[in-house]
Amino acid sequence: MKLSLKLITYLSLIIFSVISIAYVSILDSKVVNKLDGVLWTVPAKVYARPLELAEGGKINVDVLKKELEILSYELTKGIPDTPGEFSQSQRSVNIFIRGFGSQEPGLYRLKIENDKIDSIKRKDGISIDLIQLEPLSIGGMFPSHLQDRILLNFSQVPKDLEEMILVVEDRNFYSHKGISLRSIMRAFIKNTRALGIEEGGSTITQQLAKSLFFSPEQTIKRKIKEAIAALLIEIHYSKQEILLAYINDVFIAQSGRRAIHGFGLASQFFFGTDLKNLSLDQKALLVGMLKGPSLYSPINNPDRAKTRRDLVLSLIKNDSLITEEEYLDLKGRSLKVIPPSFKSLSKYPAFNDIVTLDLRKNFDDSDLRTKGLKIITNLDPVVQDYLEESIKDTKLQLKRRYGSQLNGLEGAGIVIDSFSGEVVAAIGSTKPNNYGFNRAINAVRPIGSLVKPFIYLSALQHYSKYNLSTLLDDSKLSVSLPGGKLWEPNNFDKKFHGNIPLHVALSESYNVATTRLGMDLGYSVVQETFTKLGIKKKIPKYPSIFVGSFEMTPLEAIQAYQTIASEGFYSPLNSIRTVESSEDVLSLSYPYKVEQRFRPEPIYLLKFVLKQTFISGTARGFSSRVIEKWKTGGKTGTSDDQRDSWFVGYAGNYLMVVWLGFDDNRKSPLTGRTGALQVWKNFMSRLDPIAYEVRKPSRIRYEWVDTKDGLLSGERCKGSILIPFVEGTEPEMIPQNRKKCRISEESYTAKVLNKIKEAIEVK
Amino acid sequence: MKKNFNTYLVALILMSLFLGCTSSPKKETNFYDLEVEKFSSSVKLLLTDLEFLKKEILKVNANKPSVQRILIEADDKWMEEDLKKASSALERGLRIAKDESALYLRLAHLRLEQGLIKESSAFAERGLLNKNASSWELLLLKIYSAQK
Repeated sequence: MKLSLKLITYLSLIIFSVISIAYVSILDSKVVNKLDGVLWTVPAKVYARPLELAEGGKINVDVLKKELEILSYELTKGIPDTPGEFSQSQRSVNIFIRGFGSQEPGLYRLKIENDKIDSIKRKDGISIDLIQLEPLSIGGMFPSHLQDRILLNFSQVPKDLEEMILVVEDRNFYSHKGISLRSIMRAFIKNTRALGIEEGGSTITQQLAKSLFFSPEQTIKRKIKEAIAALLIEIHYSKQEILLAYINDVFIAQSGRRAIHGFGLASQFFFGTDLKNLSLDQKALLVGMLKGPSLYSPINNPDRAKTRRDLVLSLIKNDSLITEEEYLDLKGRSLKVIPPSFKSLSKYPAFNDIVTLDLRKNFDDSDLRTKGLKIITNLDPVVQDYLEESIKDTKLQLKRRYGSQLNGLEGAGIVIDSFSGEVVAAIGSTKPNNYGFNRAINAVRPIGSLVKPFIYLSALQHYSKYNLSTLLDDSKLSVSLPGGKLWEPNNFDKKFHGNIPLHVALSESYNVATTRLGMDLGYSVVQETFTKLGIKKKIPKYPSIFVGSFEMTPLEAIQAYQTIASEGFYSPLNSIRTVESSEDVLSLSYPYKVEQRFRPEPIYLLKFVLKQTFISGTARGFSSRVIEKWKTGGKTGTSDDQRDSWFVGYAGNYLMVVWLGFDDNRKSPLTGRTGALQVWKNFMSRLDPIAYEVRKPSRIRYEWVDTKDGLLSGERCKGSILIPFVEGTEPEMIPQNRKKCRISEESYTAKVLNKIKEAIEVK
Repeated sequence: MKKNFNTYLVALILMSLFLGCTSSPKKETNFYDLEVEKFSSSVKLLLTDLEFLKKEILKVNANKPSVQRILIEADDKWMEEDLKKASSALERGLRIAKDESALYLRLAHLRLEQGLIKESSAFAERGLLNKNASSWELLLLKIYSAQK
């Protein structure tokens, strides 16, 4: 009996030991795996472009203020004295920059006159030629656990933060072996005296073990497991490695479904800047939050968070890390955290989709979710906000006018920098922040008259045959289709206009004249132009293609117009600027790609007519001052039965496409002019872009011609217009009755004088 | 010796242009009108000596101090043969100002070094549309645009 009891005891001990050893071994391998691998799977972070402010550069003050507002800068009176503040006086803007990358935080004074930055000066009066605002964080590519962090290496951790953490969380960190009986005892005594929990007994290593492997439940069993894991961590890793892992891994806040881990990301999340730029009071706030991220959240519980921050400050004062004076100064500061920059995983779903499409060309999904890539996109948050506001406002206005007919109206819009092809903003719905069907990239719709400039560009490349005053036939047309059917195109005004000059046919968007032109040119010539414009689809060989039955997505349409807006230079659309690894090493850059697809002359002629669209054509209604300032041009498009309302137009360096319509393809009361153009107008009026002057191609000459017959005319002749021609292609004939009004006395005298001058010089 | 030859060659082209322009009193000097193709053999010679051309390009400064600072950064990277970073810096310059010929010229040469002849020519053609370009800058841009 005795023997058997002894045996049972031995056996139990053996079994317990085996189980214990097995458990510890499993835990040990988990510790190593987690700390060596999984912990460092960092999701890619996506940023908008950083705004650069350059001496001599162009900037609209309202746009700058909007950017600062989006970045949560606070408008103050007087000179700003804290990062994240700005003020405005008559001709200057003072910004206390938070700092980002190589941009030091500090106060800068910008003198802005006539939309131009005259000077940038530092607080000490020294002139600076270039400063950069931090880019807006716009989303991330998250792994399934939705933990987000920015990994820091030890050199990126400020020494005072390290000291602060140790004072508050684990004074004996460098002397214990993972668990500290002294700390447990001290916490017990302190908490008993205070009749509450004022200090925890867990070491930093225990806290790390807890956050890596265990749930937050407080049980003896879990405490024992935590202690074993802490001991194992201490066996495998140095103190410095453990502290760094803690700083990178500790949970600090929750933002929607996204969990904010580590001090690197917490600094960006609460203060919009790198950890190295934080002041002591800001660091104290973050350290204070470790005790209870939700309880001491400066967003949800600011009073409690401040009390806790002040306690941290008093602890470091007691340890002589700061003086009494510094303590009083820091304690007096307000919290000044920024509101979360995005609540969901991505604030701009349509733009994010375009970024994802571009990223997938070079990265696989696991790279994006684990390698901590820093993706700087071309998103301009101000332009994006204006775009969103424009479509929402315009939809409201249209609904007031058309009522329930517009219930369920959808839309899409994309804005690019026409010079570079950089996509700067996109929306895929009239509710831009909603996820779902992204019409900007997925809605394939008939483009209506948006196709016409492509046909006219095909013609204008043949200087000898077509110029802007070439007469086109806009009389009734019947085309026999295969199968014996007749197709008879009509104009929007249901009238035929006989012979009209080419520029009128395009600016008035006449269907019949355009169909004839397309058929005269032939499908292969038109196809060639489509290809040069970056349109990858083959055009079907039926004549309705020339007046808009061709289908495109808004993204494809804006690519085609990019080459036109950009003087004939094709640049593929691109939403990403650079992709960097977490170590700030450039992994991939997306360089400008430029290819000259058209000579400048035909593009110049086409752009002249696209400008006419704004002066007298389907986009009329803008002041001549605005048309000149923006150097604008564009084209409306309306598909059959007004199922699609389109507008593409450029102003300054911006090119924008807008589509409005219904997902079920029903008829709408909107044309390109009454629908999409209104969104464009609303948007551009907010942005008020600044244009660069472009040199006129040397072979372009202007001539007065008649708007009806296209023959030579004069400034004083009725119904005349001054239009450009490629040198040598100007009309030669001038009707008898216009000879008088073409040559004024003044210009005749000037001509005679010139002749005499020429004769003298030749001699 | 080669450098001297090239300097003479550029001077010769300029002189020919100047003489050409003076013989036609009706027209103002406008280097944009210049048909570089007429001097194709001389231009080709210049294009064979990229080092000489590069030295000429590096002498072209920007008008805006902010762009000049970027040019210095780009030139440093270029000297270190880090073409990717040099290109990134120049593109950053273009985002700030699209009317600086110094940027187009450097990008045209850099793309040539990267073996992207079409792009080199396209940057030069774009630069030719810059209204603020000086006659000398236009002439240099014409040389690169003539590669097509």
